[in-house]
Amino acid sequence: MNTNESNASHRIGVDVGGTFTDFCVFDEVTGEMRSLKTLSTPATPGAEVMNGIAELERRHGARPGSIDYFTHGTTVGVNTVIQRRGAALALFTTRGFEDVLEVARLKVPDPYDLFSRRPAPLAPRERVYGIGERTLKDGGIETPVKPQDVHAAVARARADGADTIVVALLHAYANPANERAVRDAIRAAAPAMAVTLSSDVWPVIREYERTVTATVAGYVQRRVAEYIGALQGALGDAGVPAEPMITKSNGGIMAAELGKTDPIAMLLSGTASGVIGAADIAGRIGAADVLSFDVGGTSADVAVIQGGKPAFGTGETVGEFPIHVPTVSVTSIGAGGGSIARVDDFGVLKVGPESAGSNPGPACYGQGGTVATITDAFAVLNLLGAGELGYGAVALDRPAAERAVATLAEPLGLSLPETAESIIRVAVSGMYLEVSKLLSRHGADPRTFTLLAFGGAGPMTACLLARELGIRRTVVPPTPGVLSAYGGLIADIRNDFIRTAFVDLDAKGLGVLDAHARELETRALEWLRDEQGFGGEARLVWSADMRYRGQSYEIETVIDRSDIAAGRSGALAEAFHATHERVYDHADREAPVQVVNLRLVVSGSAPKPVFREQPVVPEAAAPRGGATIFLDGAEREAALHDRGDLRPGRHFAGPAIIAQDDCTTVVPPGFAARTDGWGNLVLEPEA
Amino acid sequence: MPVDPVTLEILKNHTRAAAESMAFTLYRTAHSTFVKETEDFTTGLTTPAGETFATPTELGATWFVGLNYGRVIEMIDDYRPGDIALTNDPYSGFVCTHTPDMHIWKPIFHEDEIVAFSVGHVHNTDVGGAVPASLSRTLSEIHQEGIRIPPAKILVEGELNRQVLDLFLTNVRAPDQNWGDLKAQIAACNTGERKVREMIERFGVDVFREGVADLLDYAEAQARAIVRNLPDGTYPFADYMDEDSVDGWPCRLALTLVIDGDELVFDFTGSDPQLESSLNMPTGGDERHTLLMVGMTYVLYSLDPSLYLNSGVGRVCRCILPSGTIVNPVFPAAVGMRTLSCSRLQGLILGAFAPAAPERLAGSPGSGGPIMNVNTTDNRTGRRIMAAINPMTGGAGGRAGEDGQDGSGANQGFLKNTPVEINEAEAGIKVLRYGLSPDSAGPGLHRGGMATEMRFQAFSPNTRVTARNRDRTRFTGWGIAGGRAGASSRFIKNPGTNREVDLGNTDILTIGPGDVIHVTCGGAGGWGDPLERDPDAVLLDWRRGWVTTGHARDAYGVVIAQGAVDGPATRALRAARANGTDNRFYDVGDECRAFEAVWTDANYAALTECLARLPVHWRFYAKHRIFAALEPLSPDDRRGDGSDVRQAFAALCAEFPELSDAGGAAAA
Repeated sequence: MNTNESNASHRIGVDVGGTFTDFCVFDEVTGEMRSLKTLSTPATPGAEVMNGIAELERRHGARPGSIDYFTHGTTVGVNTVIQRRGAALALFTTRGFEDVLEVARLKVPDPYDLFSRRPAPLAPRERVYGIGERTLKDGGIETPVKPQDVHAAVARARADGADTIVVALLHAYANPANERAVRDAIRAAAPAMAVTLSSDVWPVIREYERTVTATVAGYVQRRVAEYIGALQGALGDAGVPAEPMITKSNGGIMAAELGKTDPIAMLLSGTASGVIGAADIAGRIGAADVLSFDVGGTSADVAVIQGGKPAFGTGETVGEFPIHVPTVSVTSIGAGGGSIARVDDFGVLKVGPESAGSNPGPACYGQGGTVATITDAFAVLNLLGAGELGYGAVALDRPAAERAVATLAEPLGLSLPETAESIIRVAVSGMYLEVSKLLSRHGADPRTFTLLAFGGAGPMTACLLARELGIRRTVVPPTPGVLSAYGGLIADIRNDFIRTAFVDLDAKGLGVLDAHARELETRALEWLRDEQGFGGEARLVWSADMRYRGQSYEIETVIDRSDIAAGRSGALAEAFHATHERVYDHADREAPVQVVNLRLVVSGSAPKPVFREQPVVPEAAAPRGGATIFLDGAEREAALHDRGDLRPGRHFAGPAIIAQDDCTTVVPPGFAARTDGWGNLVLEPEA
Repeated sequence: MPVDPVTLEILKNHTRAAAESMAFTLYRTAHSTFVKETEDFTTGLTTPAGETFATPTELGATWFVGLNYGRVIEMIDDYRPGDIALTNDPYSGFVCTHTPDMHIWKPIFHEDEIVAFSVGHVHNTDVGGAVPASLSRTLSEIHQEGIRIPPAKILVEGELNRQVLDLFLTNVRAPDQNWGDLKAQIAACNTGERKVREMIERFGVDVFREGVADLLDYAEAQARAIVRNLPDGTYPFADYMDEDSVDGWPCRLALTLVIDGDELVFDFTGSDPQLESSLNMPTGGDERHTLLMVGMTYVLYSLDPSLYLNSGVGRVCRCILPSGTIVNPVFPAAVGMRTLSCSRLQGLILGAFAPAAPERLAGSPGSGGPIMNVNTTDNRTGRRIMAAINPMTGGAGGRAGEDGQDGSGANQGFLKNTPVEINEAEAGIKVLRYGLSPDSAGPGLHRGGMATEMRFQAFSPNTRVTARNRDRTRFTGWGIAGGRAGASSRFIKNPGTNREVDLGNTDILTIGPGDVIHVTCGGAGGWGDPLERDPDAVLLDWRRGWVTTGHARDAYGVVIAQGAVDGPATRALRAARANGTDNRFYDVGDECRAFEAVWTDANYAALTECLARLPVHWRFYAKHRIFAALEPLSPDDRRGDGSDVRQAFAALCAEFPELSDAGGAAAA
C-alpha cells in the first residue's frame, strides 16, 4: 500500500543487463512513461538498482516511498553459470547412470570439427554418486531407497567438498517418491545441505534434460537467493513499500521471494521480458506477426511473435547448458554494437562473433578499445553521437573510432566511410542469414512481418535489416532502450506446470489425463492463491505435448480441458492434427495419437499501466538541425530530430537521425517516418 | 573480374541463408520420423556444372559437403523451367551412394539460361528390395537393395510425372512416407530457387554468377593455405575392418597420402578387392568423390574452423582408385552398408594425416559401435514394437594438450542418442546401464575418449536385436606418438552368467525374456606415452570410475592404494617399464600386430598385384582362398616377403586352369 501523504504513485520496471541497467517508470498520476539507464555494477549486484532509484528521484521526482509496484529482471543467475561461480555440486543418480551429464545427448556443438567438445558439467563426475534404487516407467517403485546408502553417499559428497546436492533419478517425473526419500535421508544426515530435486525443478521425461536443468537450478540457487534477499533488504531500507516482483523466462512475473527457491524460472528473464514488451506494443498497434529485434553490446536477440503470441521453446541455453523449462524463445546472433570487424588472410571482411564487450568496448567509447566494432562504424558514418549515449554514461570519441576503422580501410582498398559502411553491410547480412533461418524454421514469410526494434543499437540497424529481408514496416517503440524493463512492468503473474503422461488417446489414456489435470489444477491454483497471494481472476491455459505413435518428437498443442473430462478423444486428436498441419504442412488423420506431457499455464493479470491512444495530427516534423552522414555509398545531409519533438502524426523522410535519451534511430534514404498515436515511430519504404 | 571482398562476404551470407532455409523447409515438412530423428538429408545449391557452393551446417548430414552433381546433371539432356530430376541409383552417375538416398535437382533459370541448381537428398526409410529398410550386410548384389530409378524427371515443366512416381511407390514398403518426404524435397528445391531469384534481383546476375565462382575459389584458397602448412611427404597407412563378410576375413583399407605443396594425393592402391557383401563404396572412380573427401574435410576444417565448406575444398585433392576394389566397385556390387566402411575410411584418412601434424591431430576415433534396434512385443498390449534404441559411439582420439572428448565426438559428433527413459517407455526393454565404458580409452599422455556402453534386458519371446555396423571386435583403434590403442568393442549376451555368449561382430540375433545384452563401442586411441601421464589425472579417472586399479597399473604404471597415488611405487613401476617402449608412430594394438606379422606389407603388396590380374568376379573368392592357405602356416614357415602369397596364388591358379595365365605371371 502507498502510505505517502501525497497522491504520487509510481510503477517501476528494472532490468539489469551486462553493461547497463534499464529503468522504466510509469507515473500513475500523469500517465507518463519515463526511462533511465545506469551503468551496471557486476561487482556489487543490486547497487545499480539503488543508484537508479536515487537517480529517478533526482531526475523525475519519483520518491522511493511512492513506488508501489516494482518488477525486476536480473542476470545474476546467468552470470553465476557463465563465470562458474556457483555451488560445489554433488549429483545423486540412479546407480549405473552416473555418466548422464558426461554423455548428454552425444552430439557435439560443431560436428564438422574433430576436436569439438561438450562443456564440462556443473557437477563434476567425481562428485556423482549412484544410488541403488529404481523407479519404473509407470511410476512403480522396483527398488526403494535405503537411507543408509544415501547416508554413505552424503558422507562421501561432504568429504569431496560438496555444498549442494542435486538428486535426479530415473523416471522421477512419473513418481517423485524415491527422489523425496533421498532428500529426506540427506536432511537426516546433513540438515544444512542444500538439496535440489529434478522432480521439483521440472518433472518431465528425458533424463539428461531433466538432470542438466536441475544441476543449473542447484548451481545458482544460493547466489540468487542471496541476491534477492539483499535486494529486498535494500528496497526496504530505501523506504520502497512495494513487495518486489521478479521477471521470469516464461515472460511472466512472480513474487521475488519465490525466486529464492525456484531460481530456474527466472534465469532468462531479461530477453524474455523484452519480447513481452514487444508483443505488448505489437498488440497495441494491431500487428499480428512481429519480429522483435533487440540489439545490445554483444548480441542481437531476435524472437518471432505470430498471431500476437511469442514463440516458446525449451532447451534455451544458459551459458553452455540447455535448460528445459518453458522459455520465451529467443535466438541470439553474435552481432552487437561491440562485435569486432577484421579482414581475413584472403582479404575478406568479417564481422563478429568476437566482441569487445563492455570492457574495453568499442574504440569510440574511449575506454581503451582499439579494434573496429559495429558501433565504431556507426560513429565514423556520423550516425551516432547526435544525442547523449547512455544518459551521459559514456562520451563519444569519434577520432578513436576513425583510427580503429582505418586499420581495415587499407587492406580493403576502400575509403574510411566506405569501410565503415562495409562493416555495417556485412554485419547486417550476417543478421539476415540468422533471421532467415529462424523464419524458415517457423515456415514464415518475412514480408508479412513487422520489425520491432529496440535495445541500444536495434533502432540504428533496423531499417537496413528490414530492407535486406523485404520487411515492409519497422516500428521503434517510445522507450526502445528499456523495453525489457517495460516488459516486466506490464507482465502477468504466470507459472507453468507439467505432468508426463505417455498415453494413447483412448478411454484409459483420457482417464489418466483427467487425473493428471486435476492434480495440475490444484497445484496451479495453490501457487497463484497461496504462494503469490493473488486474489484476482485466474487464467488457465491447457496444452499437451502430442505426437503420432512412432514419432520421437512432440508438438505442444493447445487443448480444451473439457474435452478431457468429457472423454472427447476425437476433439483432442483433431486439435493435434490441426497443429501438426500448421507446423509441418501436413497431418495424418488416420494415425494413432499419443500424449506425452500435459501442461498447464496459470496466470493472473497484475495491475497494469493504462495507455491512451493520442490523437494523430498529421504535420511535417521540424528538425533540430542537420548532420553530414555517409550512407548507401555517398555523403548525405541528414535531418536531425529529437524524439521528444515527434508528437503523434508528425512525419518526415529519410535520411534522418532521431536522437533520444536511450538510443539513436537511423532512417535511411528512401524511408518515410511518422509517429503513431501510441508514440511509436513507424518507418516504411517510401511508396 | 572477381567480386569485391565485401560483396563476396554478403553474397556468402545470402547463399548460406538459402541453403539453410532449404534445410529447414525440408526438415519441417518431411513426413518420415527418420528424417527428423537422424537428419540424414542434405540440401544445397550448385553451379550449372554441379559444384556445390552453398550447404547448410545447422541441419542435415555432415558427409555431403561439396557433393558434385555434375555427373547426374549431364544425364538429362533437356532442362526446362519447372523441371525437377531425381535418381537413387548408385551406378548412374555415382552421386547417389546407396539406394535409400533419393537425390533430386532442379535447374534455376535466369531468362533462358541455367544459373544454378537447387539440390538435395533424403535417406528413405525403405526403397524395397530383399529386406525391410533395404539394407543388410549379407546382400551381395545391388539388385537386392531395392528399386533403382536412373536419372529421370519427376516434374516436367512443373507437372508431376505420374509414371515415374508410381513406379517408385509401387516398389517400396511404406509409399506414403516416401511420397511425403519427396514432396518435402521438392518444397526445399523450390525454396532454393526462390532464394536464388532474390539474390539475382539484389546483386544482379553477373555478380551472382561471378560471386558463386569466387566462393568456390575462396574455399579452395583457404584449403590450399591449410595444406601448405603441412610438411611435404608420403604418408602410408593401413587399417582393417574385422570382417569382409559375415564371419569373413579382415578387410584392408590402405592409403598412401602424398602432400606436395598445396596439393594432396590419396592413393588407395592396396585396399581390398570389392566385397561380396554390401560394404563397398560406390565412387565410380571419381577422383574427388564426396565419400572420399569426408575425412579430408574433417582434417582441414579441424585445423582451421574458419574454412568455408563447399566444393572448392575438394579441389586440393585427387584420389587414385583402382577399379574392382572396395573403394571403386564395379556393377553390380552391393553398396547398401557403405556407412560402416565409409566411417572407417574417414578414420584411415585421419590416421594418414596424423604423422604430418602430430602436434595438432589426434589418435583414432572410437569406432565399431553399432546402431541398435529392438523389435519386440509389448506384453501389456500384445503390440509389436520396433524401436531404434541408440547409436553406440566412442570418443575422440587424444591429442597434444587434451584427452579426447568422451562418449562421442570426432567423426561421430553428429549422432544423437535416445534417452533411457524414452527407450524404456517405448522399446519394451529395461536399461540396466548406460554410460562410459571403464578402461575403454586408449592410454596415453593424453588418453583417447571413453566409449559408451549399454546393458539392457528383454521381457518378451522372439525379441530381435539388430546391431548394424558392428566392427572393431578384433582390430582396435590406433594410438599415435606413443599413445596406445583403445579397447575393442564388445557385444555379449547374458554377461557374467553361465549362459554368457560373446556375439563378436554378429549384427542380428533373437533373444528371449530375461536375456540381457551388453554392447560397447571401441575405444579411441591415445596420444603420447601413457607412462608420462600425470598420476593425478589417472587418479581422477579412477575416482570417476573410468579407470580400474588394475588398468591404472598396467596401462599407466600408476599404483593406486587407499584412494591415493602411491608415489614411490608408481615411480618404481614406471622406471622398470620405461625401457620397453618402441618408437613406432602408430600403436595398432595386439591383435593387429599379430595379424600384420602374417600379413606383412610385402604380402599385401603381392596380394594386390596378384588379384589385380584376375577378373573382378574372381578376386574376392581368390582372396579368401589365399587367406585360408596362409592361415595354417606356422611362424617358422612364414616368410612374410610376399612369397607366401605368390605360392598360394600359384596353387590356386593350378587348381583353376581358367586362371593359369594370371598364375604363371605371378610365379615369375
